[in-house]
Amino acid sequence: MAVSNSIELPPPFEEAVARHEREIMRFLVRTTRDREDALDLFQETWLRAYRAYPKLDSAAGLRPWLFRIATNLCLNRARGRMRRARVFADEQPDIGRWSASANGDHTAVLELKSAIAGLPDKQRQALVMRKFGGLEYAAIAAALDCSPESARAGVYQALKKLKAATER
Amino acid sequence: MKASHQPGVTEFADGEASAAAIDEMIGAAHARLVHDFAIVRRPPARVGVVESRLGPLLAAESPRGLLALSFLDHSDGGATVAAIRQLFDPVEDRAVAVRAGAEIDRLLDGDASAVTGRVVDFSLVPSPFRRRAFQRLRTVPAGAVVTYQALAAAIGAPSGQRAIGNTMATNPVAIYVPCHRVIRSDGSVGNYGGGVDRKLMLLRSEGFKVDRGNRVPAGAVYGHWLSRIFCRPDCSAVRRAERRQWIIFGDAEHARHAGMRACKLCRPA
Repeated sequence: MAVSNSIELPPPFEEAVARHEREIMRFLVRTTRDREDALDLFQETWLRAYRAYPKLDSAAGLRPWLFRIATNLCLNRARGRMRRARVFADEQPDIGRWSASANGDHTAVLELKSAIAGLPDKQRQALVMRKFGGLEYAAIAAALDCSPESARAGVYQALKKLKAATER
Repeated sequence: MKASHQPGVTEFADGEASAAAIDEMIGAAHARLVHDFAIVRRPPARVGVVESRLGPLLAAESPRGLLALSFLDHSDGGATVAAIRQLFDPVEDRAVAVRAGAEIDRLLDGDASAVTGRVVDFSLVPSPFRRRAFQRLRTVPAGAVVTYQALAAAIGAPSGQRAIGNTMATNPVAIYVPCHRVIRSDGSVGNYGGGVDRKLMLLRSEGFKVDRGNRVPAGAVYGHWLSRIFCRPDCSAVRRAERRQWIIFGDAEHARHAGMRACKLCRPA
């Protein structure tokens, strides 16, 4: 919106975001696979984005920026869940998908978890989004601000390290 | 956030949802957002640009009052908008600028009431010192000036003339906060953010007849703020009274117009 030749007002937040809402919601549904969680994260994303909107310089960067916020919230949620899962795993080894996949082998689960926690940020995020969030590489790439190839490589490297760590 | 320890057991187990389901969820999310959004929402600021007799002006108005007025040829309008954005949601409204332009036209034609009567919102001035300076400055009437030094003293900083100089340079609401009415102690008009020519034009149209050397004119009188008495510059009362009390009128007429009476010692015209 141009007030004059020299001044450009940013588009109103609600108007600007409305164009990307469906994409964001779809992304959140895909990541969380849970209606309530997706709704929660959507609201959180929306409010955070509104609060930070004055810091966004150009409207052109809005879409990746929104995905960045949504991704960070998803990662926070995944991290909190992992922490909780860890507590649960100590007490009841067969709760959650972690222990289920390891057939109740308590030490193996713990080992795997600490190995994942030890991965570099980007690899861990890519791995979590791919294997636990079920995201496509394109979506991971958008979320992590990198190319799909780099996202794929991140998952591959992470798996390689995990394999090395658990086989020792 | 709801804690679900069993991911993947709800209706979106495959991570896909139909377009209708997404739309329904967006509606549901917005229904829940209404309350929270009302809390964090920034107030609107109406922003407009107008071509005035003083050149292109950017004006912005909040619900509380006039927020910004700047000369676009002497300032970065984008930076002004960016500053407004931090606290307000800017919306375009040219009428705001048109109204300001009309009020400034009346000022240039000798009627300052529209400008002085306007409520100013100092939201863009975070420093309390600067706010005090601007508020005090608004009480200096058209046709009068103060020195940087006197203004500093008036707000409790007797040696803060430099700080006042810096403050005036950041004035977000030009003209309405009359930073053109602040001059140097040596009697020269000093600088102006919108260019010295504009400062001279504003002062002259307000009735403060700056002389050829851009200095305080010969007929100027000193008005004492508290006692409402005005004197010749060489009056013994001027030497005795506190510096911060003096504002300078271009002539006796304007001092009388501001509700002051002539000194009985020096008897200014």
